[in-house]
Amino acid sequence: MIRFLSSLKLTISLLILIILLSVIGTLIPQGEDPGFYQNYFPRWAGIILSLQLDHLYRSPLFLSLAFLFLLNILFCSLRQLPVKLKQIRGTIEFIPSEVKPAAVRRLASSFSDWFEASPDSLLAELRQRHYRVKIKETGEKKTLLAQKERVGLFGPEIVHLAIMVIIVGGLISALFSQRIELALTEGQTVDLPGKSFSLRLDRFTTDYYPDGSVKSWKSLVSILEQGQVKKQKSVEVNHPLKYDGFNFFQMSYGFDWDQTKVELEIKSGKAAVRHLTLKVGEKVQLDSGLTLNLLNFIPDFTLDRGGRPTSRSAEANNPAALVLVTREETPIYQGWLFYYHPESNRIQRQPGLEMEISLKKFEAPLFSGLEAASDPGLNLVWLGCALLFLGLLACFYLNYRQIVIGLKPGDKPVFSAHSRHNQTTFYQELERLLEVRPDSAINSDRKNEGKTK
Amino acid sequence: MNEFPLLLISFIIYILVMLSGFASSFGSKAKWSRISYSLALAGFIVQSAGLLVRTIASGHAPFTNMYESINFLSWSCVLVIIIFQRRFRLEKAWPYLWLLIVALMALVSSPLLPKNVTPLVPALQSYWLWLHVSVTLLGEAFLAVAFVASILYLAAGRSSAGNSEAQKKQDNYDLIAYRAVAAGFPLFTLGALVFGMIWASQAWGRYWSWDPKEVWSLITWLFYALYLHTRLVMGWKGKRSALIAIIGFLAALFTFFGVNYLLSGLHSYV
Repeated sequence: MIRFLSSLKLTISLLILIILLSVIGTLIPQGEDPGFYQNYFPRWAGIILSLQLDHLYRSPLFLSLAFLFLLNILFCSLRQLPVKLKQIRGTIEFIPSEVKPAAVRRLASSFSDWFEASPDSLLAELRQRHYRVKIKETGEKKTLLAQKERVGLFGPEIVHLAIMVIIVGGLISALFSQRIELALTEGQTVDLPGKSFSLRLDRFTTDYYPDGSVKSWKSLVSILEQGQVKKQKSVEVNHPLKYDGFNFFQMSYGFDWDQTKVELEIKSGKAAVRHLTLKVGEKVQLDSGLTLNLLNFIPDFTLDRGGRPTSRSAEANNPAALVLVTREETPIYQGWLFYYHPESNRIQRQPGLEMEISLKKFEAPLFSGLEAASDPGLNLVWLGCALLFLGLLACFYLNYRQIVIGLKPGDKPVFSAHSRHNQTTFYQELERLLEVRPDSAINSDRKNEGKTK
Repeated sequence: MNEFPLLLISFIIYILVMLSGFASSFGSKAKWSRISYSLALAGFIVQSAGLLVRTIASGHAPFTNMYESINFLSWSCVLVIIIFQRRFRLEKAWPYLWLLIVALMALVSSPLLPKNVTPLVPALQSYWLWLHVSVTLLGEAFLAVAFVASILYLAAGRSSAGNSEAQKKQDNYDLIAYRAVAAGFPLFTLGALVFGMIWASQAWGRYWSWDPKEVWSLITWLFYALYLHTRLVMGWKGKRSALIAIIGFLAALFTFFGVNYLLSGLHSYV
């Protein structure tokens, strides 16, 4: 079982499966109603809904693959770590490979000869090249272990740890993050649930470019604790406010149509034209014992399938107000007034009611859509991201190199030179190292030549 | 002043780089290679000036729409090709890599892409725009080099059997592809995923939303993870590696173009 969980075959299969599922997730629209899938994908709706591909990235199928991937990475690292730790301690007994190219055999004899003749100079040369060198003597046996850029050996493990940290952080985010949508008009204060502070929107402004497109939305907000302003900041897109574990983001804006102020124009017989300003739910006394009641306001009037008035959007595309006129509590007229289509106002044609009412102005307070979010997984995710990049750098740009020389009188010397990347270059590096051996016959000759010249 | 004349000049120079590169495989090799390389440096300088002019004129980072982004991608590719030529010698791959640059520059110059300067929407006003997009595109430039080298590897596959000279050339393509992935993968991880997550967390309040662009960058990343695992642990080389590198880059291309034109999501700007 553990062998299976730590196998590379599983890694490859999981990578391919996760790729496939992710692709499917971008092809099937996510998070729609079941009816949507039955309408647009009648043939596939059954499969989509039963495998929960309508919210694929939270589906048991995807999550179990992710979990398996996590286990795979974990067990793979657990299998690799002890081997690599042994390797840097130099406890692996090196078995000389049977067939070695001549060049390597030459390296082996030169280095063991150097180590035997003048270990101190070899040590000095290696240290100068940033190798960590350990020399161990047990009885007659004498071994040298030189290593360089050891972190590079653990690059893959760092990357794997990083991915595990990110997945765990993501899981914590998914389970425990808290998001609260706030729609505040200027001056409005809202309490944060479970927190001792509240948030007040002081001012909301929109800046525009000369061409009319939006340059910025700014919400000047105050954090209040027991009525005291603790912090004031302008929240903008890309500039959230951080306070006590919460981040406040500028997400949207819009009009609070429930608070619409409406101006009506009333022409009644020979009386002077009257202008009334009122909010939804308010009543106004008119002349001759009539009362006008503003029942409703809809920014984008349309009729739903059942013929009931509703708003198509939150934009003021077809504003309409519903008024009720009563005489001594008896309703005598109820109807919609349209801002852009006053000709459709039926009240003008109401018999017995010599009155024209039209919708002249409407004004709704602007609200700022803020989101308060607390995400306890965030720091883990950032830690994982940092580890991920550092681990990748260690993988590709730190080259772990190890040299082992073992001497035992009467036995053949043991030699191994290993580098994680580009073994050939490493051999060339070692050849160059041999050239600087101070007591070597050839080199001393060369040096003398150099001096005499 | 705008950058169009500069870009046109660099486009013409890049065509000459490609032609002289191909000439070096027929005529006097050393001479044409030298000419080709010098021209490449000249074209790079002219295109860099073009980028600078665009940045000054628009007042923001030179990669906020398709036209600007492809221009920056081609600039990054040129930079990467020059680095590779200096460090590893690209040999026969050189002119074919310039074929890619010429294709990208043709796209940049085409009238299909609107070239006007548009002011930045609030979500894009952040220094993360610089970091996220430039590092991602630089990473993708390396992956593009791996893509071309892998295609060359596959194309050479039929003719090289039994010919040691051709075999050496083909192995060089394989090595170029691996080196390019080794440089491009960490950069792509940093730019696309890490910087993208940090910026998303600041601008949208969530570091990961399973937006199609995010998912496709993850898919791209997983393909290269597959490339590295099969190669470094299982010892795959050559043909199979080349295939994964090609598919991986196609995924990167889809992330760049396809998601914008075919899928809808949060990344509706570029």
